[in-house]
Amino acid sequence: MDAKKLGLVFFPAFDWAINPVHPEREERLLYTRDQIVEEGLLDMPGIQEYKPNMARFSDIERVHIGVPDIKALITNAHLVSAGAAIAAADAVRQGEVDRAFALTRPPGHHAMRVVHGTRGFCAINIEAIMVEYLRTVYGIRKVAIVDTDVHHGDGTQDIFYHDADTLFISFHQDGRTLYPGTGFTDEIGSPMALGTTLNIPLPPGTTDDGLHQVLDHLIMPVLADFKPEIIINSAGQDNHYSDPLANMNITAQGYARLADKLKADIAVLEGGYSIENALPYVNVGIILAMAGMDYRKVIEPDIDKCPSEPLAVTRAIKSLVEERKGMWTMRERLRREVVAKTGDFWQRNRNIYYDDNGINERQTETVRLCPKCSGYLTIGTEAYGSGFVYKSAFAAVISREACSHCRQTAVDAVYKAKKQGKYQHYFVQNKHEDRLEKM
Amino acid sequence: MLLGLDVGGTFTDGAVIVDGKVVSVVKTPTTHGNLLKGILAAVDQVVEEVGSRHFTRIALSTTIVTNAFVEGDIDQVGLCIMPGPGMEIKAALPVEPYVLSGYIDHRGRVLNGPRQNEVIEACRQFGSCDVFAISGKFSVRNPCNELAVVQWVKELASPDHITIGSEVSGNLNFLRRTNSAYYNAAVWRHFNIFATAVETALKARGIKAPVYVLKADGGTLPLLVARDYPIEAIFTGPAASVLGIMAMNPTDIPFLSLDIGGTTTDIALWQNGVPLFAEGGARVGGFATALRAFKLSSIGLGGDSLVYQTRGVLKVGPMRLGPAMAVGGQSPTVTDAMVVAGLVDFGNRELAIEAMRQVAFDGRTPREMADIVLRAAVNIISQSIGDMLVQQANKPVYRVADVVHGTRFTVGHIIGVGGCAAGLVPLVAGHLGLTYDLPKQGMVANAIGAAVARPTVDITLRADTVEGYYTVAELGIKNKLSSSKFTLADAYQLAAAHLAELATNKGISLDVTEIIQSEEFNVIQGFRTVGKIMTCRLQVKPGVLMNNKEEL
Repeated sequence: MDAKKLGLVFFPAFDWAINPVHPEREERLLYTRDQIVEEGLLDMPGIQEYKPNMARFSDIERVHIGVPDIKALITNAHLVSAGAAIAAADAVRQGEVDRAFALTRPPGHHAMRVVHGTRGFCAINIEAIMVEYLRTVYGIRKVAIVDTDVHHGDGTQDIFYHDADTLFISFHQDGRTLYPGTGFTDEIGSPMALGTTLNIPLPPGTTDDGLHQVLDHLIMPVLADFKPEIIINSAGQDNHYSDPLANMNITAQGYARLADKLKADIAVLEGGYSIENALPYVNVGIILAMAGMDYRKVIEPDIDKCPSEPLAVTRAIKSLVEERKGMWTMRERLRREVVAKTGDFWQRNRNIYYDDNGINERQTETVRLCPKCSGYLTIGTEAYGSGFVYKSAFAAVISREACSHCRQTAVDAVYKAKKQGKYQHYFVQNKHEDRLEKM
Repeated sequence: MLLGLDVGGTFTDGAVIVDGKVVSVVKTPTTHGNLLKGILAAVDQVVEEVGSRHFTRIALSTTIVTNAFVEGDIDQVGLCIMPGPGMEIKAALPVEPYVLSGYIDHRGRVLNGPRQNEVIEACRQFGSCDVFAISGKFSVRNPCNELAVVQWVKELASPDHITIGSEVSGNLNFLRRTNSAYYNAAVWRHFNIFATAVETALKARGIKAPVYVLKADGGTLPLLVARDYPIEAIFTGPAASVLGIMAMNPTDIPFLSLDIGGTTTDIALWQNGVPLFAEGGARVGGFATALRAFKLSSIGLGGDSLVYQTRGVLKVGPMRLGPAMAVGGQSPTVTDAMVVAGLVDFGNRELAIEAMRQVAFDGRTPREMADIVLRAAVNIISQSIGDMLVQQANKPVYRVADVVHGTRFTVGHIIGVGGCAAGLVPLVAGHLGLTYDLPKQGMVANAIGAAVARPTVDITLRADTVEGYYTVAELGIKNKLSSSKFTLADAYQLAAAHLAELATNKGISLDVTEIIQSEEFNVIQGFRTVGKIMTCRLQVKPGVLMNNKEEL
């Protein structure tokens, strides 16, 4: 372990809650604050604390299309939390620190590109906002996001599903047993970005042993293969054995060793709701590991309660790793085959549920597979729910490297939809010109 | 009649205040090696000037503790820690500790008690130590493990003194408390010898006034109490000046103060009539401690700062070789530039001109050189002010409202004190576009500050209605809560009562008390609110006594 300088953007949002008894409430990081301060971590020469600023709406609209408007759907807390992720990115890219950890809330990894409300405690995707900020401000292209939250990072997956420059790896408790019920092995990205979405659904009861199997034999080799310019960790902490919302058995040591191996440039907190028994220890472990300091003594006082891994689980993980490795190795061939089979357009229809607001969204995505560029995407969205006023929108997303023909066709598609008048709102998210236009 | 004494690097200053007015000021050379000699010389001079030895109070600001560290005149400490699980702390401590079992968690629950056989081994290992320091993680949430170890150490080793971590500070930060406890024990003997010498000498002169010692946070402690907490008497020089400014310039408008002496300039930011405090505490010998102190930025630039050229670049400070050439020194200084520029009338002008001639380049006249030197000095000070304001603006905050509304610190005014303020402060103010003031008695702001410093004390009460108890670390208290419906208002009331108790223990009276921190969180188990955790910190507000009617 060699000492590295770690930037810590600590923002516990002590005055913000979804509601007073919601898991995402004021004191979620209180005991973590107590532990960090009591340890004296903020006085260590290798750890520099940073204050977040509020993210700008232009930062958010680089990623999200809010219906009717993102401003109406979020609070200042979301702007600060996204600002915390951006502050972490700046600290690293300005060379002030070697790595950074945005220990911030509210979280973001369930927030998708189109936003009608809050789902899985998330309204805007703070990692995705940070990634697009890094691309715009620092000219970064290839990014890897490793989501280590117990829940599938479906929002992040959605946002980068058509982007071959973003490798999204998520391990999580199997979607058949846990919210949001996605993240299966057949979700591998749309044809042009096939293989750059890598889901690793783990059986309930997975321990540090199983997790590090996956890390050593799958995630690390895949990362080495992909050669990203930057590695982001969506550092959810709810795989912990004491977490009340899930059924995994990872310890603080397991998480700290993960952080040590992964060597993410930037980590951003996601979930984790065992606020008293897990978060204080897991966070101290991650901070020490990221700062290159000795974390071996960070052990939960109730470690005896952590079960060992059933043999069946260990076996299931082994075969999962083999299967996933196979997919990764064959991804280029698979992609060529699928692209050839698909033709000019690829389409998918989905129902998306917003558990925090009781909203149902019906969405149709159409991706233009352009042989000359990264193409464009159109989205038709309709949202309804009891006590929710029906909303709909049609949008085109023009990729950063879209050719002039695709750029024009995308805008035309929106004008055409507007003429037909089936939707209430019309948008062009123009990444080529870095702006969101309401038509 | 309040007497204040401040022992500085060059001078020992004395000031007598009667009814808020300075009636006598003396300056004697500091006697390094035997500080008491210079202190007594100042006392004798004051007594002669005012014709009385009947002081209401004598307050002393000395470098005795700082010197003990500089000269290595500190004791070996038997440092025992109970770190439990977490960061490996050993490398961050000034000495190798003995690590004991025992762990208290963040809620103050004892998860593991200390073991007597380990304490026996620790006492054997520290057999040659006369002083001990004992510190445990989360001891401020529950001091019982620390107190058990203290009891065993007393029985096994009967040391002269034991410093307890939870007593040096009620705040979270095991690392800082441990360092504070270690340093406190290390200077305990040295300080007590000095305290006895002071008491004996004053008694011999028939001076019966109670003696107080200035603290780094601008408060004072009776000497008797300071004997147990000598670390509090470190860094009192700058604190004395700060209090002097408070006495001479009572205002609630934000401003910044510059204390420009011979060797250094101390910068402080003021809000609501008091300077900002250092986050978490001061640093001692490069180690973070829990010692409450004003937040000062100290830069190596003063009147005696050396002016020289190296490879064609003009340098100002931070070195000091001696006094200005204008008063017979050997090398050019900032003061010489001030004399040549006509900003101060001091010493021999011809010698000052010669000083500027020595550093002149490119055919500049001594007058032009003086301006160049002063511009460089002003730039150094202004840069530090700018850095301090940026640092303040970037101070982390943990609430959305604080980010949205901001905590930016804006100042429009400078108060300048110290021997060299008159020459430099107007230039700095001009450069930054600020207004300024140079209080008349600014040259002895330090001694005035010591004279009028109000005794202070602070307390941290934490109540956990789920666990059903509250703690006051500074008093080693962990008591049951009388009711499960305990509120934050109840917490304030209880804290006020314990603050009064602590004040009585420390021999000081409650004056203006204020809440310096309070927070309240719900504790939720399984989607149900089961209780609250509350923390409130109360203090006797640091400040100044400006007339004799105020109780000490």
